[in-house]
Amino acid sequence: MQGNTRRTGIMTDVHRRFLQLLMTHGVLEECDVKRLQKHCYKVHDCNATIEKLEDFINNINSVLESLYIEIKKGVTEDDGRPIYALVNLATTSISKMASDFAENELDLFRKALELIIDSDTGFASSTNILNLVDQLKGKKMRKKEAEHVLQKFVQSKWLIEKEGEFTLHGRAILEMDQYIRETYPDAVKVCNICRSLLIQGQSCETCGIRMHLPCVAKYFQSNSEPHCPHCNDYWPHEVPVFDPEKERETGMSRSNKRSLRSRQH
Amino acid sequence: MRTSSPGVRGGKADSKSSRTRRPCSCETEQICPNKAPGEEGDPKALQQAADEGRPHQAPSTSQLSPAPPAPAQLVQKAHELMWYVLVKDQKRMIIWFPDMVKDVIGSYKKWCRSILRRTSLILARVFGLHLRLTSLHTMEFSLVKALEPEELDRVALSNRMPMTGLLLMILSLIYVKGRGARESAVWNVLRILGLRPWKKHSTFGDVRKLITEEFVQQNYLKYQRVPHVEPPEYEFFWGSRASREITKMQIMEFLARVFKKNPQAWPSRYREALEEARALREAHPTAHCPRNSVSED
Repeated sequence: MQGNTRRTGIMTDVHRRFLQLLMTHGVLEECDVKRLQKHCYKVHDCNATIEKLEDFINNINSVLESLYIEIKKGVTEDDGRPIYALVNLATTSISKMASDFAENELDLFRKALELIIDSDTGFASSTNILNLVDQLKGKKMRKKEAEHVLQKFVQSKWLIEKEGEFTLHGRAILEMDQYIRETYPDAVKVCNICRSLLIQGQSCETCGIRMHLPCVAKYFQSNSEPHCPHCNDYWPHEVPVFDPEKERETGMSRSNKRSLRSRQH
Repeated sequence: MRTSSPGVRGGKADSKSSRTRRPCSCETEQICPNKAPGEEGDPKALQQAADEGRPHQAPSTSQLSPAPPAPAQLVQKAHELMWYVLVKDQKRMIIWFPDMVKDVIGSYKKWCRSILRRTSLILARVFGLHLRLTSLHTMEFSLVKALEPEELDRVALSNRMPMTGLLLMILSLIYVKGRGARESAVWNVLRILGLRPWKKHSTFGDVRKLITEEFVQQNYLKYQRVPHVEPPEYEFFWGSRASREITKMQIMEFLARVFKKNPQAWPSRYREALEEARALREAHPTAHCPRNSVSED
């Protein structure tokens, strides 16, 4: 049967509404996803017990599998917040963005992406990106215009800007994981701990392996003398501390792990 | 968001002739009735195909497994089209049939009907969305929620759908005034949200561009010069898309929430909203059938 699940994935109106709303929002943080799930239960099946989020999502994913789409969970690189997005696994191009942007704008994004991936820090400076404006496909774009386009990317959550430099938003990493691995197989960096795509992170100065900041935090948790997991050399960077249940606060590492923070919702 | 225009639906009697002509494995060209030369796919027939994809209208499942030359590739195209439609809808862009053909269906134009049928079926079963032809003339489709109760789901994430809130504020201002809202009036209202035309906002960005260009492009608003006024002034009206997707009752509910009043505090507007709601119910008596089945078809 086309479009039907080959396993016994259960698709009720609760799941359908969840999918609709997840798609509408593009990318959501875990706290919002939980709230969304609760809302869908309330609307369609208020007497049922709310399934654990992980099982709920796995259930839906088993139905989506045959459609080559998936609810993917990722973690923001700078402060370890879990995020969720519905992604298309079958794509090998920047297809999600393609309908939003003109040809030259898409090419600007590709150029910025390439610079980000090739860089050591995971950031590409505004100047370097803008210098490539003459090489863009499509209609000629001036630097002023390109600055505006970069801001559009930031607003649509494809890029993050920090002090004049740009890196990939968690959403872009989630959605373009496959595209990036296929397009830049040699330049792509991978985290030594979780093996997923790495844009920002810390690296060992001796052997060069890299780790995401949240992965570093978890791996070296309560370890006063961190050593590289690969070459065992002393780990030269400050180990960040994250509270994984932080909600909607900008990433700031704090020295006190157990600081009490009241939930906003 | 809800559409309030009557969708174009061919009766089943009409479609018999088009249904017997289906792609067959010997690759003869499929003949669409009423096809203009060079144009593939009569939109009405396409709407039928889209409708056939809806489970509670599908005549029998055997009709949904045609014998095209490359079934696996047709399935893949249907999946691509599904994603394409979902993304367009997410971006609140118009889903235009010629774009669908150009961007997704491509060389499989001959089988666009069966692809469309399959896509509609998937969208209905998995997402609870109907792919509906909203305008025969312009060949526009839209995704309509098929689940009960229909409401703007902003309730779920009320502080996370700022665009809708912003748009609704402007639409409700226009509605309450009963005519176009001058740009100055709109800015007075937006000032309450802390928005100014010259200030960039952390969520909305350039607000003025958003409301005078983007919302206008998406047909949610119309931005027109006020005639015979010097120096030039502009005013906002509801766009065609707003009229289709947002009901007056939704506006009343929004106003009630924002001002913490009963919607009947605007008596003439409330009456209008009630009348519209009644007219819509009469136009779509079978529009909402709650489906909660575990296994379908």
